[in-house]
Amino acid sequence: MPVFDRHFWIVVVAGGLLGLIGVGLAVLGNPQNSGICISCFLENSAGALGLHGNQRMQYLRPELIGFVLGAVFSAAAGREFHSRGGSAPLLRFLSGVFLMIGCGVFIGCPIKLFLRLTAGDLTVLSGLAGLIVGVWFGLKGLAGGIHLGGGRQDPRGASGLWVPLFFLLLLFLLLLQPGFILFSTRGSGAQHAPLLLSLAAGLLLGGLAQRSRFCITGSVRDTFLMGRRTPLIWGLAAFILAAVGTNLAAGRFHPGFYGQPGAHLDYAWSFLGMLLVGWLSVLIGGCPFRQLIKAGEGDADAGLVVIGMLLGGGLVQAWGLAGTAAGVPLYGKVAVLVGLAFVAANSLLWRERVAEA
Amino acid sequence: MNRLLQDRFDRWHVLVLLLTTLGAAALLLTAGGGGDAAARSELNRQLEQDVAYRARIDFLQDLYRPVLDLEKSGARQQALLKLEEIGRRYPGEGYGFIIKGRILLQLDAVEEAVANYVEGVRLNGDFADRQGAFSAWNEIDQLVSKQLPSFSERARTHPDNASLKRVLNNLHYLQSRLAGGCE
Repeated sequence: MPVFDRHFWIVVVAGGLLGLIGVGLAVLGNPQNSGICISCFLENSAGALGLHGNQRMQYLRPELIGFVLGAVFSAAAGREFHSRGGSAPLLRFLSGVFLMIGCGVFIGCPIKLFLRLTAGDLTVLSGLAGLIVGVWFGLKGLAGGIHLGGGRQDPRGASGLWVPLFFLLLLFLLLLQPGFILFSTRGSGAQHAPLLLSLAAGLLLGGLAQRSRFCITGSVRDTFLMGRRTPLIWGLAAFILAAVGTNLAAGRFHPGFYGQPGAHLDYAWSFLGMLLVGWLSVLIGGCPFRQLIKAGEGDADAGLVVIGMLLGGGLVQAWGLAGTAAGVPLYGKVAVLVGLAFVAANSLLWRERVAEA
Repeated sequence: MNRLLQDRFDRWHVLVLLLTTLGAAALLLTAGGGGDAAARSELNRQLEQDVAYRARIDFLQDLYRPVLDLEKSGARQQALLKLEEIGRRYPGEGYGFIIKGRILLQLDAVEEAVANYVEGVRLNGDFADRQGAFSAWNEIDQLVSKQLPSFSERARTHPDNASLKRVLNNLHYLQSRLAGGCE
């Protein structure tokens, strides 16, 4: 454990605050066990922009805007904002869509997986197993020669600005609330912590995540690679401890398999949904949260994943692909299998092969 | 900045950028009462949505008023027949299932009552919200709190009974929806 390393402590603080704030935002009004959930937030935001018609899932989540803009400020302050991109753009865009499908079927992103687990929701165990296997598949893929090509530095600094500017526009829309932006008056979209508090939490976590490079799938990946020597695993441990502690303190720890909020008992599909997320995340360099942060650092490739995730959030709701407490709908199952086929096909197509003599 | 303004080409494009940006801002700031009807309608999507929801509430209250009146007067069988009639005309409407569940519960048909509550909540999550015009949170919560322990026990002692298992699954579904979450 590299305890004398400054970066180690930044990661631990980032992980701890993510757990604390993740539960705290739910206490303050966000949906139960969804204090922070990138996929739920993207589905809400897609609904607010009119990309789907589920009137219970429409809210421009300030936390999302905060994550990206917090990363922009932090990257700019640390002279780490570098506009770059150009690596397999369409693949990344579609990966964003499939990330949301995997999350939608599971009901939550990897951050929410741990928030659910730390609130006692044991139905996520199959999803956790799927995530770990998916990360392992991804690592095997990288070791086997899958290479999407490195993003090129953009000396004119233009392409990496657009996603941060888009989120700045979303901030204005959130504050001005024009009539074409939709806000749920009922359902989970109507459940939210106070706007400015959510925004501040997003900015803080976005900045910290940019400094620390904290990422759920990255933690699992680096643990496979480096064991206890990676700071990220300690960040993940801090996240889990903080979330468990806050859930216990808030009286929100209810261990069990049944009656859990926003959960279903289709364990096989939870496993496959998170397998898709873990596998894709390793290949494209980070979980949904990390993609938002990288987009805030000027990474246009991650920005395309974010735009793909926004579209995916809309499709998951518009096409009824998302899992519910009743289980996973047929088309959600089909979409996950298509997603896994997509990753397998691209693993073949993007593999660098050594020419045989 | 000097690099961006090094020749006439740059200056022309900066001018276009400034004019279009300021023009768009001016249009937005002065568009309060202007614009054509179609554009106004697009800009008022939130209003349209809220009005449609209010209208739905009023419509459903009118539609089911005879059923609720029959239920209040104790004529439960007639209320169920009236619900059948409405259900044939509007088969995808969840409120009828919630009312039917309530009446069946009064008639001690617990298993059927639970199934109807589940159908209603699946069709429209509003019934499992804590607040709202059609919130049935309290009655579903009472149902789950009362029935879940007994059905859990019965299902445990009769593990091969498919009917008990189905009711238990339904109660767990309702319990999960009552707990909230993001869906």
